[in-house]
Amino acid sequence: MFKFKSLIIPFAIYIILIAIGLSQPGLWQPIMYIMFYIGIGVALNNFMGLTGYVDFGYVAFLAMGAYGMGVALGYFTYLGIWAIPLGFVLALIFAALLCTAVGGVALRLRGAYFAIATIGVNEGLRYLIEGAKIWGGSEGIILSGKLRKTFGPEFANYLSTFVADAALIIIIFIASVITVYMINSRVGYALLAVREDEDAAKVMGINVTKYKLIAFFTSATIGAMIGASAWTLKLTYVFPEDVFFIHYTVEAIVIVMLGGAGTLLGPVVGGLIYGALKYYLSVILPGFQLLVFAPLLLVIVVAFPEGVVGFVKKKLQERGIIEYIT
Amino acid sequence: MIAEQLAANIIYGLLLGGVYGLATMGLSLIFGVLRVVNVGHGAFIMVGAFTAFWMFTLYSIPPLASIVVAVIVGLAMGFVVFMTIIRRLLDAPELSTLLATFGIGVFIEELSKFFWGPDYVGYSWDIGGISLPFTELPFTKLYAFGSSIVIAALLYVWFSRTKLGKAIRAVVEDKEGAMVCGINVNMVYALSFAIGIALTVTSGVLVTLFTPVGINVYMGGDYTLKAFVIAVLGGLGSPWGAFYAGFIFGLLENGSYTLLGLIPGVEPFGLTRFVSFTALLLILLLKPTGLLGGE
Repeated sequence: MFKFKSLIIPFAIYIILIAIGLSQPGLWQPIMYIMFYIGIGVALNNFMGLTGYVDFGYVAFLAMGAYGMGVALGYFTYLGIWAIPLGFVLALIFAALLCTAVGGVALRLRGAYFAIATIGVNEGLRYLIEGAKIWGGSEGIILSGKLRKTFGPEFANYLSTFVADAALIIIIFIASVITVYMINSRVGYALLAVREDEDAAKVMGINVTKYKLIAFFTSATIGAMIGASAWTLKLTYVFPEDVFFIHYTVEAIVIVMLGGAGTLLGPVVGGLIYGALKYYLSVILPGFQLLVFAPLLLVIVVAFPEGVVGFVKKKLQERGIIEYIT
Repeated sequence: MIAEQLAANIIYGLLLGGVYGLATMGLSLIFGVLRVVNVGHGAFIMVGAFTAFWMFTLYSIPPLASIVVAVIVGLAMGFVVFMTIIRRLLDAPELSTLLATFGIGVFIEELSKFFWGPDYVGYSWDIGGISLPFTELPFTKLYAFGSSIVIAALLYVWFSRTKLGKAIRAVVEDKEGAMVCGINVNMVYALSFAIGIALTVTSGVLVTLFTPVGINVYMGGDYTLKAFVIAVLGGLGSPWGAFYAGFIFGLLENGSYTLLGLIPGVEPFGLTRFVSFTALLLILLLKPTGLLGGE
């Protein structure tokens, strides 16, 4: 179909990245690091890019995914290999529950009020888990010993290396397809109207709440899947202060902004640049990468608010190649 | 026993509430005038805390005198940040200012870490205290509370009596109208931003009077979140509302900490935070103009 043409470039980027990671010794971990950032960018873009709402508590959905997988592997270990699909299902359920709660409260608000409310949800949830000692409280869930005992050291290792990475890659491919579908469907057109002028959209008879919730839900569940695979399965532990860390939200927002909000290619390019830069800065300037990043963020916000892809798109407006870039 | 503990905690809550109020006024003032949420709020509190620490450690200047230094540092930082970044983003969507202020906060923190190191520091200014039957009240905490009241009162007088103060209120009321009357709106923005930052840096000094240890470049994050809750309690954008809401928050925090400590098997510190963020959400949902706000 015509509209899926725009998937060629992002898919090519993913495949080239994976090919580099597989062929060059020692580059697989850096590539997966970049893939993680592409993933959270694509996931957040499905909500923030399409609706224009800034969710400052987005990482809570990754945390819900991480906890879903953590609870399945930690408390239902006796299910053996079936604990992993259960983990993904629990990740989805937890994210959906949070989504319903946040969607009911925060999505009624706009602008700065929405941003503050989502920070409140993220922090409130974290302190509920720590304070009421749910799922181990601030001690978190540590899985490595349990996994080794149940599955044997070899299979446990296979889980946290191959299965976790493969799951993340599959999720990213699916997430991009979902983005293209959303941009080119009724949902995308409705959200475009919301982004430009919510009140006008309402007057035109668009069910604003419904479309905002669809975008919110899509973005949240993709985030939860990433949390379940890239955090719990890969790292084999869940600590509340790690999984609710607000910096991940901001990183995701920066990636979306850097690439270009509301475009398919934007978060892919943003994640690629951000992930690669962050990785090499942490090698060259350990401990001070943020000192370089903060000014960079300011320059992007002030000088290139439409992002790399938005900028390129503007330059290529008249060329035929434009139809491959969405 | 528990009654005494509760009484002591309520007094501390009130005193701390005064400092919280001042620490939030800057955030509310900036939002009220410029419609910018300063996500990097806590970094400026950290700068104030380090100002007090270095003045005391290097030159043995008592923290109360450091307030003057903090005001100057804050005004200067506010002007520089406004002129270089915020001024260019006034017409941009919220996302830009949220990200920019976050970036400014991170930059200040990282720069501080570069110069001052990542360690926790503290100082000890022992000037005695008042003995109450159930607790000991150090003078430092009373001074912190008193300074906060005095600063808020001075600001109130400045806002209601001076020409510049009136100009700021006029811009909040009606930006176009103020422009037509010949008020330099950009100057008002710069001034409000600088005053807001100066208030925040000053409150950082007062915070160290309350807890003179645990000064660290990343200490601000906690205060940013608390300031959000307090600002919303008082009606976002209203500095006076924020000042009163500081007391409510101080009482809420200390009171619920004592009471939640009675429940076995929980961690009262975490649950207290949970209570305050739940309050934030409820207020946003039910009365977004704040507990005291009318409009």
